[in-house]
Amino acid sequence: MERLLVKGESLEQCLERYPGQAAELKPLLETALAAREASAIQPRPDFRARARYQFRSALKETAAGKSRSSWGWFPRWATVVAIVLVLVLAGGGTVFAADSSMPDSSLYSVKLATEQVRLTLTPSQMGKARLCAELADRRVTEIAYMANKGDVQQVELITQRLDEKLDLLVVLIEGRGGVSLPGILPAASPPEEAGLTPAPTTTSPTTEYTPPVPTTTPPPSDEEPMPPVAITGPGKDWGGRDDTAQNGNQAQLRNTLVTDAASNRAVLRAALDEVPESAREALRRALAVSEDGYEEALDALE
Amino acid sequence: MQDEESLVRRAQKHDQEAFAQLYEEYFDRIYRYITLKIGDAVEAEDLTQQVFLNSLRSISSFKWRGRPFSAWLYRIAHNQVVDHLRKKKRTDVPLEENLVSGGDNPQLAAERKLDIEGVLSAAQQLTEAQREVISLRFTSELSIAQVAEVMGKSQGAVKALQHSGIAALRRALIVTENE
Repeated sequence: MERLLVKGESLEQCLERYPGQAAELKPLLETALAAREASAIQPRPDFRARARYQFRSALKETAAGKSRSSWGWFPRWATVVAIVLVLVLAGGGTVFAADSSMPDSSLYSVKLATEQVRLTLTPSQMGKARLCAELADRRVTEIAYMANKGDVQQVELITQRLDEKLDLLVVLIEGRGGVSLPGILPAASPPEEAGLTPAPTTTSPTTEYTPPVPTTTPPPSDEEPMPPVAITGPGKDWGGRDDTAQNGNQAQLRNTLVTDAASNRAVLRAALDEVPESAREALRRALAVSEDGYEEALDALE
Repeated sequence: MQDEESLVRRAQKHDQEAFAQLYEEYFDRIYRYITLKIGDAVEAEDLTQQVFLNSLRSISSFKWRGRPFSAWLYRIAHNQVVDHLRKKKRTDVPLEENLVSGGDNPQLAAERKLDIEGVLSAAQQLTEAQREVISLRFTSELSIAQVAEVMGKSQGAVKALQHSGIAALRRALIVTENE
């Protein structure tokens, strides 16, 4: 059996080794080969993508749970407020379900809106930068998922959102001051599309930008732009009270980005082998955006 | 893949990349193992996801005591299957076309589908221990020694179960073909 299954010998070669027992062995070895044939079962691509996304989300939640204490009370408070806000706007169960939704889900716009609130309410630049990295990571998973479905249009749209997140990340890292920055954040589909009550614009905090305009593509004009996010200014509020803490936070962010860059490159490259031919070109562009974006962000940290 | 022991140790320290590598390494194998065990490719999806979520929650409890990580992971999968079968009586669900890899050849894919359906169906006629050995050996590509580790049996016992399992599988396949 080992010769057949492990050493790669043919059925005939195996039987020649034991001519006296060939008649008895043959049906058993044939059955063993049939059983091995069962290993041709492959998970469906969309299941594989969905499972990978959910596992990676669970991984991040676990890691966040372990590191939260080092972030003090404020990020937790911001998250709670964000959730409460969106609860008021959209309903708790909806928000919870939306968090793992994919772009082909009606809850996806809720997910983007929730992300936007979190980003707006996160007080420090370091917190925003870390959140940007997390959201960029989500976009990559969504790109792989939609590419598996062959939805080129969605892949391109989410690639644009990925580009925006990585650009914002660079802006946050560099703490550039100066010009207002309209339209840098993702334009979620209007809540009406998901059958939700539109969010009153007055409830979303709108703050002024100080950094210069990065080279990002504005969101499609048929989508309502989300409110901008506050960036507190050059060198301020980088998350640490002194140089040591600041350096520690930067090192932590660098590690996160190095890990994300590598894992997202691997995810997108692996997806290239699985997606329909029609989606490959869009996926290659997403891969290029991801690689360039992470490289730029890591350069900014140097 | 990097040295598995160092990957597991990193995963236990909440290194996401390390756990992601373990996930990619074992995902397909666990899925195939579960599919053959329960004979239902769709239900195997949920169970496979649950296995990895459970492993994420409990990896800190894993201890290196000479047993491989795979033995621990397959034990979780085994327990998941046992729980599932306890809760729900098995129902036959046809294999989806895209579960079967036939390249660009539809005829080959169709033949493989029939073969796989036959094996999945016949595997349900085996005893629990026989099915465990066949699943681990043929869908997860574990060696006799590794299967022995997973099942907590001697290699001799695994070989005997493999032999009787294949003979039973043969009989079940013949019955299926004659029906």
